[in-house]
Amino acid sequence: MKNESRVIGRKVSRIDATEKVTGSFKYPSDLTMPGLLHAVVLRSPHGHAKIEEIESSAAESLEGVIKVFTAKDVSQELFGEIVKDTPIFAREKVRYYGEPVACVLADSEDVARNAIKKIKVKYKTLPEVFDPSEAMKEEAPLIHDNYPGNIAVEKKAERGDVEKAFAECAVIEKDTFTLPYVHQVPLEPNGCIAFVDERGQLNLYTPNQSPAWLRSRLAELFNLDLFQVRVIQIQGGGGFGGKCPLTIEQICVALALDIKRPVRLVNNREEDFYATWGRVPMKIELELGADKSGKLLAKRSRVIADNGAYSNIAPGVLSTALTRIDSLYRLKNVENIGWLVYTNKIPTGMFRGFGNPQITFTVETLIDRLAARLNIDPGEMRKRNAPCAGDVSVHGWNLKSCGLTECIAICMEESNWNWKGPGKMEKGKKVYRGQGLACCIHVAGNRGVYPSFDGSAAEVRIGPDGGVKVLSGEGEIGCGANTTFAQIAAEILGVEMERIQVPEVDSCYSPFGLGAYASRVTAIGGNAVKNAAENALEQLKEEAACLMGLNKEKIIYEEGRFKSGDKTLTFEEVCREGCYSKGGTTIVGKGTYIPQDVTIADKETLYGNISPSYSFGAQLVDLEIDVETGKVKILDFLAVQDLGRVLNPLGAEGQLEGGVIMGIGYALSEELVLGEKGEVINPRYRDYKIPLAIDSPQVRVKFVETNDPVGPFGAKSVGEPALVPTAPAIANAIFNAVGIKVNSLPITPEKMKMELQKKIRELEEKE
Amino acid sequence: MQIKLSINGQKKNVEINPGDTLLKAIRRLGLTGTKEGCGEGECGACTVLLEGLPINSCLYLAFNAQGKDILTIEGLKGKNGLHPIQQAFVEEGAIQCGYCTPGMVLISKALIDRNPHPTEEEIRNSLSGNLCRCTGYVKIVNAVKRVAEGGKRNEK
Repeated sequence: MKNESRVIGRKVSRIDATEKVTGSFKYPSDLTMPGLLHAVVLRSPHGHAKIEEIESSAAESLEGVIKVFTAKDVSQELFGEIVKDTPIFAREKVRYYGEPVACVLADSEDVARNAIKKIKVKYKTLPEVFDPSEAMKEEAPLIHDNYPGNIAVEKKAERGDVEKAFAECAVIEKDTFTLPYVHQVPLEPNGCIAFVDERGQLNLYTPNQSPAWLRSRLAELFNLDLFQVRVIQIQGGGGFGGKCPLTIEQICVALALDIKRPVRLVNNREEDFYATWGRVPMKIELELGADKSGKLLAKRSRVIADNGAYSNIAPGVLSTALTRIDSLYRLKNVENIGWLVYTNKIPTGMFRGFGNPQITFTVETLIDRLAARLNIDPGEMRKRNAPCAGDVSVHGWNLKSCGLTECIAICMEESNWNWKGPGKMEKGKKVYRGQGLACCIHVAGNRGVYPSFDGSAAEVRIGPDGGVKVLSGEGEIGCGANTTFAQIAAEILGVEMERIQVPEVDSCYSPFGLGAYASRVTAIGGNAVKNAAENALEQLKEEAACLMGLNKEKIIYEEGRFKSGDKTLTFEEVCREGCYSKGGTTIVGKGTYIPQDVTIADKETLYGNISPSYSFGAQLVDLEIDVETGKVKILDFLAVQDLGRVLNPLGAEGQLEGGVIMGIGYALSEELVLGEKGEVINPRYRDYKIPLAIDSPQVRVKFVETNDPVGPFGAKSVGEPALVPTAPAIANAIFNAVGIKVNSLPITPEKMKMELQKKIRELEEKE
Repeated sequence: MQIKLSINGQKKNVEINPGDTLLKAIRRLGLTGTKEGCGEGECGACTVLLEGLPINSCLYLAFNAQGKDILTIEGLKGKNGLHPIQQAFVEEGAIQCGYCTPGMVLISKALIDRNPHPTEEEIRNSLSGNLCRCTGYVKIVNAVKRVAEGGKRNEK
C-alpha cells in the first residue's frame, strides 16, 4: 500500500490525552446523577464462620438509610466464571475475611459507612485453612461441601515421553518455588453505577474490562433478557485484569433492581484489596532437564494454585501455568499436573500475565542453573532452544511469526553481556554486581473464555460532515486501544487523526467485542477495525464513481482525494454528496475478524492452537546487591519485545516500560500479607509497596518487528508479556552476582540479607 | 457550614461539614480533576498547589484552606492553551490511564517553579509521593526533563 506508514508506526499522542492532562476526563468515580444512592458493603470479620443471625434494624433506623440488604434480598443464583460457587452475599457461612455479608444503601456514602457499623452479625467461627497444601489433606476443614479435598479443579497437560527424555538428560535441575499473592492496585479503586429505567431496562456504568462478557454474566445471574441489560464502559483509572471478573457489579445491580433508583458503589482503597482479586499464588515443583549441548529435553511440573474461597477465573489461570511456557522453547516432552485448591482467603483472579509470570519464573531460573552446570552461556542456551516461525509447539501452537532469537541477541549485544557463571561471595566484599536474562512467550487473543464466539466486530461510520466514528466493542481501559483503533482507521482512510472519534463502548450501539483481556484488543479488535475501515473506503469509492459518472475501478484514492484522470473530489465532498444523495444516510463500513485455525484448548489435554499469534520477549537486567542492607539496586534494564509491529511507539514503549516496573515490584517488593484470620495486614500504599519513581530505573526498550502474517499491520501483543520475564531476569542476575538461588518472591531486602548471611556463614565455615 | 475558597483565581462558596477535607470540597464544586486514590496521603492523586506548594488535598481540612490560593489541574491551562508541562505530558506519552496525571502534572509544576533545571534524580525524588501504576514513570520523567531543558521537541 502506497501510504502505509502515514500514521501507523508513528508517534501519536493518545486521543484522550488532552482531556486527561487538563482534568476534564470523567472516570467512573467522578460520575453522579440526580437521586443517586450510595452503597457500602459490610464484609466478614472472619475467615470461616457460620452466620447465625443478622440484626440490621439499628442501621435501618438511621436517618438517610434507605435499606439494608443481605443474602435473602437478592438473586439466589451462584456465579463464577468457570465454576459457579459464589453468592452475591454470604449465605449460611462466610468463607473469607472480607466476604460481602450485607450492604447499606443510603443518601450519602458517609451515612452508609456509618450505618454498616450498626449492623450486628452473630457468627460461630469454624476452623480455617489458608495453605493450599494443608487444604488438600483429608483432615482439613471443608470450605465447600461439594468439593472434597477442597479441590476445585484438577488439570493435566502431558505430551511426549517424559520418563525416557529425563533418562537421556545430561543434567537435571529440580526445585520448589513459592509465588506470592500480589494485587493490581490500580490507582482508581473499582466502582460502578447502576439504575433501572422506566422501561425496566437495567443500565450499568462501569470500567469493566469486558463489557460484553459482563453483560451476559449479569443477564444470567439476574435472569434478564440480554437486550434488557445496557452496559456502558467508562474508562477507569487502571485495570490490569482486576476489573475484568464480576466482583462488585453484581452487588450494585442487585440493589438497583430492588430499589429502582440509581445506585453507586465505589470501593475505597482498603476495600479494593478485598473486592478486586489479585494474582493466583502458586507453589510449583519443577524439574527440567537438558542434554550436554544445552538442548532442553524434558519438563515436569506440579502446580498447587491457591483459588481462595471462591472460583473466579483461577481455573483458566491454572491452565495457563500448566502449558504456556512449554511453547517458549522447542520442548517435546512435558508432564504437568495442577490442582486449584480452595482456601479461606480472598478469591484470586485475573492479573496481567494470567498464570504466565508464575510458571515463567520457575522455568527461566532453572534454565540458568542448568546453563551453569553445563558451563554454557544462558543466552546462548536459550537461543539453541528458541523456536522459529513455522514451528508447531508441543501443545499445538502454530507460531506464524517468532523473533525470540533476535530479542535475546539484542539483549546480549546492547548490555555489555559478560556472563561468567554463578557468582561467588568473597570475604569482606560489600557490593556485588550481576546480570540476568529471561524470556517469555505470550498469546495475542487467547481463545477459551467465551465459548460461543471469540472474534470481534467493528463499524466505521462516516457522516455528511466527513467525521469518522470508529465503533468497537473492545473498549479502552487505559492501554491506548482507542488511539490504536483511530490510527488504523486514519491509515486506511487516508485522513487526519483529528477527524476520528472513538466513542465509549455502549451495548446500545457497539458491535460485538470481548474486551481487554488475553492480550486480544489490538490483534483481534484491530483487525476488525481495519476491515471496517477498508469496507467504508470501498463504499466511498463507489460514491465517488457515482458522482463522477465512472466505474469504481477507475477511481484512485490518495492523500484524501478521489481521482480519475483530471477529475478530483475531496474526502469531504464524497462524504457529503454520498450521504445526501442517499437521503442523508450514514456510510457504515462493517468489519469483523474471526481468528482462523484457532481453537479452545482441549479440556482433558489442554492441547490446541489457542491464539492467532504469539509474541516473544527477552529482558536483561544489570544489578547491584548491597551486602549490608540486602538491597537490590537495578543499574540498567533492557526489555526487547517481538510484538509483531509497532503501531505507535509512544504506546508500545509505555506498555513495555510500565510492565517492567510492575514486574520489578513483583520481584522485589510486592506481597499481600494476610493475618491469622485471612485479613489483609497491608491494605494501603504505605505497606503494599509498588515501585516509586525513585526506586525505578529508566528502562530501555527495543522492539523486534516480525510482521506477523495475521495481526493488523503485523501487530501482536505487548501489554501483558511486558512483565512476564522481569522477575526471573532479576533472580538470574542475583544468581550471577552471588550464587544465591531465589525460590520465592518478593526478594525483599530482609530475605536477601538472610540469604547473604547464610552464604557468608558457609564461607566462614569452610575456612 | 459555608466557607469561601479561592480556587484557580475564582472565589467559590462551598457547603462543607467541619471535618471535610479540601479534596471533598473541591470535588463538590465539580472540579473532579483532583482524584482520590487512597484518601490517606499516600498516592498523590489528589495533589493541588496551595500558595504554590504541593499538598495532598485528602489530608488538608477545607476549613483551613480559606484565604489561601488553591490551584487545581483545571486552573493550569492558560488562555493560549496547555501549560508547557501539560503539553510535554501529552507529547511524550506520559499518560496511560491518566488517573495519576493531574497530580503528576501539578507536582512537576511545583518542582519546575522552584528548580527550573532539575536533575533526573531531583525529578524522581520529587515525583516519589505520586504513584503511577501504568507508565513505570519513564515517560513522566522524560516529560519533566523536557520542560526543564526548555521544551526541546522529542525528535524521531
